[in-house]
Amino acid sequence: MTNDNLSVISLVSIGEHPTSRRPRRAEQDARAIELGIKLVGENLQTLHAGELPDDANQQTALRSYLGMGLAEMNLLEMPAQADAVLVIAEHLKQQNPDVILTGVRAESGESSGMLPYLLAEHLGMAMVTSIADILSVDEANQQAEVLQALPRGQRRKLIVDLPFVASVDMAAAMPRQSAFGPAMRGLLDTAVAGDFADEEASTWQTSNAKKRPKRLKIIKAKTAADRFKAATAKASGGGGKVVHGVEESAQAILDLLVEEGLV
Amino acid sequence: MSSSEFLSQFLFTLITFALLLTLVGAVKRILLWSQGQSSTIHWLGLLQIPRRYLVDLHHVVARDKYMSNTHVATAGGFVLSAILIILLYVFQLKLQILTWTLLGSSLLMFVGSLFVMRRRRNPPPNLSLGKWQRLPKSLMVFSLSFFILTLPATGILPSDTGGWLLAVLLVVGIIWGIGEMFFGMTWGGPMKHAFAGALHLGLHRRQERFGDGQSTGLKAIDLNAKKLGVEKPIDFKWNQLLSFDACVECGRCEKNCPAFAAGQPLNPKKLIQDMVIGMAGGDDAKFAGSPYPGIEVGTHKGGAIIPIVNVLVENETLWSCTTCRACVDACPMMIEHVDAIVDMRRFETMEKGQTPGKGSEILENLSATDNPNGYAPSTRMNWAADQNLTVFGQNVEKQEVTQADVLLWIGDAAFDMRNQRTLRAIIKLLRAAEVNFAVLGDAEFDSGDLARRLGDEATFQRLATSNIRTMNKYQFKTIVTADPHAFHCLKNEYVEFGGHYNVLHHTGFFADLVSQNKLQLDNSKELALTYHDPCYLGRYNGEYDAPRFLLESMGVKIKEMDRSKSTARCCGGGGGAPVTDIPGEQRIPDMRMADVVETNAEIVAVACPQCNLMLEGVVEPRPEVKDIAELMLDALIEGVVENTGEGVVANAVGGEV
Amino acid sequence: MSELFRRDPRAQWIARNRLHPLHQTLVIGPVFGPSGLLRKNLHSIGFIGPNGLKRIDRSGASNDSAQGSRRAAAASEVILPLHQVLEPAFYIVVVLDLVSGRLNGHDKDTLGLAQQLANRNGGAGAVVAIAFGELKDDSLDKAGVDRLIHLDSPHYEQYNPEQRCNDLQVIVDDLKPQHILLPDSINGGGDLGRRLATKLQQRPACGVWKLIDDTVTCRGSAGKSDITRPLSQLMLVMEECSEPISETRHENIVIPQDTSQFTGAKLIDQGNISVDPNAIPLAEAGFILSGGNGINDWPQFHHTASVLGATEGASRVAVDDGNMPRERQVGATGTWVTAQVYIAVGISGAIQHMQGIGQCEKVVAINTDEGCDMVKRADLSAIGDSTEILTRLVELIEQRKQTINGGATND
Repeated sequence: MTNDNLSVISLVSIGEHPTSRRPRRAEQDARAIELGIKLVGENLQTLHAGELPDDANQQTALRSYLGMGLAEMNLLEMPAQADAVLVIAEHLKQQNPDVILTGVRAESGESSGMLPYLLAEHLGMAMVTSIADILSVDEANQQAEVLQALPRGQRRKLIVDLPFVASVDMAAAMPRQSAFGPAMRGLLDTAVAGDFADEEASTWQTSNAKKRPKRLKIIKAKTAADRFKAATAKASGGGGKVVHGVEESAQAILDLLVEEGLV
Repeated sequence: MSSSEFLSQFLFTLITFALLLTLVGAVKRILLWSQGQSSTIHWLGLLQIPRRYLVDLHHVVARDKYMSNTHVATAGGFVLSAILIILLYVFQLKLQILTWTLLGSSLLMFVGSLFVMRRRRNPPPNLSLGKWQRLPKSLMVFSLSFFILTLPATGILPSDTGGWLLAVLLVVGIIWGIGEMFFGMTWGGPMKHAFAGALHLGLHRRQERFGDGQSTGLKAIDLNAKKLGVEKPIDFKWNQLLSFDACVECGRCEKNCPAFAAGQPLNPKKLIQDMVIGMAGGDDAKFAGSPYPGIEVGTHKGGAIIPIVNVLVENETLWSCTTCRACVDACPMMIEHVDAIVDMRRFETMEKGQTPGKGSEILENLSATDNPNGYAPSTRMNWAADQNLTVFGQNVEKQEVTQADVLLWIGDAAFDMRNQRTLRAIIKLLRAAEVNFAVLGDAEFDSGDLARRLGDEATFQRLATSNIRTMNKYQFKTIVTADPHAFHCLKNEYVEFGGHYNVLHHTGFFADLVSQNKLQLDNSKELALTYHDPCYLGRYNGEYDAPRFLLESMGVKIKEMDRSKSTARCCGGGGGAPVTDIPGEQRIPDMRMADVVETNAEIVAVACPQCNLMLEGVVEPRPEVKDIAELMLDALIEGVVENTGEGVVANAVGGEV
Repeated sequence: MSELFRRDPRAQWIARNRLHPLHQTLVIGPVFGPSGLLRKNLHSIGFIGPNGLKRIDRSGASNDSAQGSRRAAAASEVILPLHQVLEPAFYIVVVLDLVSGRLNGHDKDTLGLAQQLANRNGGAGAVVAIAFGELKDDSLDKAGVDRLIHLDSPHYEQYNPEQRCNDLQVIVDDLKPQHILLPDSINGGGDLGRRLATKLQQRPACGVWKLIDDTVTCRGSAGKSDITRPLSQLMLVMEECSEPISETRHENIVIPQDTSQFTGAKLIDQGNISVDPNAIPLAEAGFILSGGNGINDWPQFHHTASVLGATEGASRVAVDDGNMPRERQVGATGTWVTAQVYIAVGISGAIQHMQGIGQCEKVVAINTDEGCDMVKRADLSAIGDSTEILTRLVELIEQRKQTINGGATND
């Protein structure tokens, strides 16, 4: 694809590893960059709004995006807890990008997934969610063809008017490896941005996620005996059943697939 | 003018001229090397050349007796002859004793060349052909020409024997001989190995290797450098470039390389020759040895300032290496293949971000979770929930300690259900021997071995410095670990970052305990057993005896495999090879298991979690794979366990609170 | 079966004749002795329990004589009580996902939460369900729908979130609902809810999974944290945020509503693209057919996978032997999978492999060795030759497909 005049901006956030909770390159944002590089190569711009840690080691997460081969990244400095939408919207209004790529939702904080929608609204752009790929961009007609990710690996093709905001799904192409050298040498182009405090969120209580109880199959039965039977029948019937013989085996497997709704 | 006078005159001119050309060639060659990056110049090493040549080099050569005798004769004869020729014909020292010595030395060289010739008649596949097939003839012509030339001078034959005909023949022979032996030495002939090899022995990057020393740890690089790792030949250190020129293409590396044997696209000999091509410029069409399996010769070219990977050498070649060091160990010229491969991998990973296979994922996991498979760091000690281990730490309420005799390094086996069995066995044995030990718990990180060998020096240095910082908080006498990779890192590679520890592999530690009778093993069981040497325990750290001592203490007569001790074949699990997973014709662990089967052993004893996984991955039916610690636990004399076991538990709970 | 009660004179005669050998099996209900007292024959009731002791279930539920079961069958079609909201005090709007025109579990849970909100603190709100496009489900009343707004025209069969969002804005303006709930799903609810939030300039609570008094608990940090915050008007709720309605019927009164006027759509749906199951990354695949060392006929394995519509996986050995590409390897050293159903064919189950399938819901093993680890782990194990079993399975599935297709054309 040759889209020399296309202006693509990829928004990146600092991710959080699911088990160690350490800052890292966010998976969806990295995919957004990968998609952006596929579209416009070196002309891809990247933007991050947040705090810039002084310590080089703490910048690692941000710099790991640079390690994907980007020369520089624009950084709008603001307190970590502040609302990034207005800051980014102000900045982007001056840039007039054709395509803005983001992740579907952040890996830390509220992670409501609202940012791309709010940006699209502020900038009057179209919004398309959970894309897996951008197939083509037709600059003459101001349209692009995108693939949207649906559950279970299904895809939907959409035509979307330029300019648009797209949130990139995990189904998009895997991001390239981040290399240490370019990551350390890339430039962080910092500008101090406004501070829009998020007062509402400051009243919320946040704790580590509790494990949600697995829903039991509740049997509405009139008697204790029935409930007991229903509760015990499952365990003795399904678990570890062994069948012999070709016909019985095939039938048992088919029954299980039907029960699970797969055929 | 008689033919003998003419010869004398002519020889003076010829040899002087050849020496001048040789000198010019030498300067050119040195300029080639000097394109490399700066590195310490070990001037004193130059004085050691004769000793290193005669002792260290011949130590390796002598593994092949035929070749070592041949080389002594040929090389000894040549060196002596060359000196005498210069004295006789250039400095015109017409001493009779010199003439007689020259006669002897050229004869010696001639005899040597006959053996070279014989070996070259049916060369084994690891030998290079091409110009190397010419060498025995050149040696013969050189030695024979000077032998005949010297005969009249000694008075055995009258002067002017043979007249002008012989004179012309001698002139032709001497031009050929001198051309090959002097001129060719610095202008890229087979004799280059003598010139570059001698300097390489003197100026070797790892001076510690000589005189029975060891230097196997990878060398750290400055992470703030403008370029990380090696992209082009000139990014190597100058003494690495020199070392490539020392290669004699004997192919011993190739014979020992597990990746080559498995049909993966790596041949250490070709790799070193490709580095020479890269340094001097050109293509690989003239390479006359075995190609990289599956890659045709003559399709790649390079130059000093041309990137190496995918131009001169395919990236798959670099990533096939298991860093088992079999090539380095077998190399008579002491060339460091693994260093070169890791240097190039560093550029691939840290500058290009192109670690193949699952490499990228593994490295990302290591930076986010300090273990290669991305398990939650807080679950590192889950396997030991029932072990009641003493943990190093400051929290007295949790019964943490700040000092113990032994720090038991767990390693990433903590996350692997198979290797947890080994760990449990080790803990039982330690308790049986009443060893006062503690573990780092969740504060322990991956040793960094995998990251470093995948070329991610940055992650390695982070892990190493974090581990050192953690360990420096506590007092212990010894680190004991079941993982030879961690053992090697802790012992040899943390030193550059200020971590100086007394590290023992569990086999070494238990061997001491057994010889001190602190552990008693039942030696009545008869086991059909062989032992597989882990590369990082054996070749990297020279520990071949402790595991064997332990097995013998259990009454086992080890059915040794053909490839054992320093020539043991890798299991295929090192250097990130299972991660990068370069396809070959067969799998390295399958080949190794075939070696095991050949001995008719029913059990293969291992001493490394990685070997354990690789060999257990071979499809059954196959011999059982057991860690030595597991075998020891089976053989531990029960009474001792019961008597001391309770005492130890009491000690662990009560004594260390 | 007919609902008519048919007399069986012979049975009645046996029931009267206490000396008849079959008498005891047919005596049901009260027997009055000569003195008019109710007599119970303790020998004829109850059953022998598992420990050999006689058990009497006084509720009568375990009696299954011919007449009793007929009555039970008639009684089992329980008519649930109707929950009526005559004068709704307020509205709770639920926008249904309706995947292929039917309520799914997520929709039902969302409706369940909506009913909780409508009826808490003695409120008498009505739950208004909004359905776009085709609606095939006739169980809306049982799922807790008090009122229904159904917008149906051909263009709702496509993905047109902007139009839908506009419709919702109009409805919200009309009804002024106390709360608007959408399933926070990839099936449309998540997208539509966020669009509506921007249009309404509301801050939605996303990932809601628990309601306690006036607060909701939401998943934040991509599932790593819980945020407790006040109820908000617009909420995107997770699956199992509430129990679905199961004990009441609801009115399901249709409120007529027209499609709103909307122009300027920036998205045009071009339809779904068929995706090869093998293009789905293993880690995301819901249904995996995985092959190992025990497979002799690989073409047949691939054929089975395509008939089943399953994503292909492999054990390490199958990959090492070159039968499958490396990225198909399942296990601790390959990909960790989370499939709903995982069929392991000819895989004996190395520890690393078992680790990798730890999160699969249902594991089916097809193996010749009944003692292997995979069979121990599996929910269903078929012992026998894998080639034969797979061949038969393919036949059964193709038969099934034909009957379903045939049935569909008959309809």
